Amino acid sequence: MIGFVIVSHSEPLAHAAVDLAMQMVHDEAPPVRVASGADGGFGTDAAAIADAVDALADSDGVVIITDLGSAVISSELALELRTSTVPVRISDGPFVEGITAGMVRAATGGSLDDVAHEAAAALAAKRPQGSPASPGAPTSDVLAPDGASTPDASIDAVLRNPMGLHSRPASLVVKAAGGFDADVAIADVTTGAGPASAASLIGLLTLGVSEGDIVRITATGAEAAAAVDAIRRLVDDGFGELAAASA
Amino acid sequence: MADAATTDVVTLEILDRWVRLGAARLDAEAERLTALDSAIGDADHGTNMHRGFAAIVAKLDAAPPQTLAEFFKAVGMTLVSKVGGASGSLYGTLFLDMGKNAPDGTSMSAAEWNRVLAAGVAGVVGRGHAEPGDKTMIDAFTPAVAALDDAVAHGASLADAAAAAATAAERGSADTEPLVARKGRASYLGERSVGHIDPGSASTALLLRAFADALAGEAA
Repeated sequence: MIGFVIVSHSEPLAHAAVDLAMQMVHDEAPPVRVASGADGGFGTDAAAIADAVDALADSDGVVIITDLGSAVISSELALELRTSTVPVRISDGPFVEGITAGMVRAATGGSLDDVAHEAAAALAAKRPQGSPASPGAPTSDVLAPDGASTPDASIDAVLRNPMGLHSRPASLVVKAAGGFDADVAIADVTTGAGPASAASLIGLLTLGVSEGDIVRITATGAEAAAAVDAIRRLVDDGFGELAAASA
Repeated sequence: MADAATTDVVTLEILDRWVRLGAARLDAEAERLTALDSAIGDADHGTNMHRGFAAIVAKLDAAPPQTLAEFFKAVGMTLVSKVGGASGSLYGTLFLDMGKNAPDGTSMSAAEWNRVLAAGVAGVVGRGHAEPGDKTMIDAFTPAVAALDDAVAHGASLADAAAAAATAAERGSADTEPLVARKGRASYLGERSVGHIDPGSASTALLLRAFADALAGEAA
């Protein structure tokens, strides 16, 4: 699994951000090390970051997520100071969203490339729905509307939960999709948004699916039908968010 | 003991005297540096630099380095861990890269010192991606290295070359006052950073003046 080094000027900030992200992780959590502060105060310590990376030497790769500017400088220096050879990416993603999206992707078995991309693209979830992406922003999580190949399985379902496809249900979709040998995508048929890869929390959030929207769940791969069925059941069930409303 | 004022080589003894003098001056000037930083930063540069150099003195007392490379590495690693933020990593990189480029042994000529300092400054530029005019320590380091180059090329004494470098750094630091910060925390202030000297350039000038004075025999 991919591990994380959280580099923050503030130790409470780092731990709070990790705790927040853990709300979205429903599987075995990825290994996380916090490297924060310098000599007891605000700051960053390249030697501590190097130690944190080395502590994750047994993982499949490490994504470093940073807060303010000098955290990047210290992380770059740490890569010179470390002794392990585990592959490392320093993410330029936003701190809170990047930790959350990256950890969800890592928990579902994403590669270093997958996790680094997910963290880097995490700012997309903050853009107003329907607004054009900022120049140069990654958009590859939203797949081309008409893919070259037809999916092996496809089904339409109505999203029932009042809050729409927000981060908690989206993380459940990511988890469910990750359990099958299939590439799963979700599109909002009502608004025309997507499709977005079901492997990407951020991609799903950018769809902005609301209550009552028809979603199209498509999949290709050996277990396409089972994957589509599993996610349809989540949607039909309102992601477990209907119980309170109907009780 | 050789007359330090006429030395033609930078020895371990001079380097030791330099960082101790630097520590004493950072102690005396911590408030001024922090005041500069409170205008355009997070008001901790003086405190942080003083803490870092005090830790260096303690480290040199506990385990005196035996070679130039050991000296620079000890100083660099201490700054990395004790200063925090960009200053710790950037000054840390300066000394670590000076160590990687230091000649074997315990002393170096003016030309070697010139090359070692230039290599350290190149490391800082590579790490922070700052250019002259961005209102950073590079605005003090760049003219200092240029002055050192020029002095060494014209056969100046080590003492004169170091003094010229210190003067150039002080001028470069003063010249950051009208600039708009384009790197670091101060860059968030944009135009409001105008009218303040960059604290990183001020600590750079302080350290290079301390080097020139240590070379001339001054001790903390």
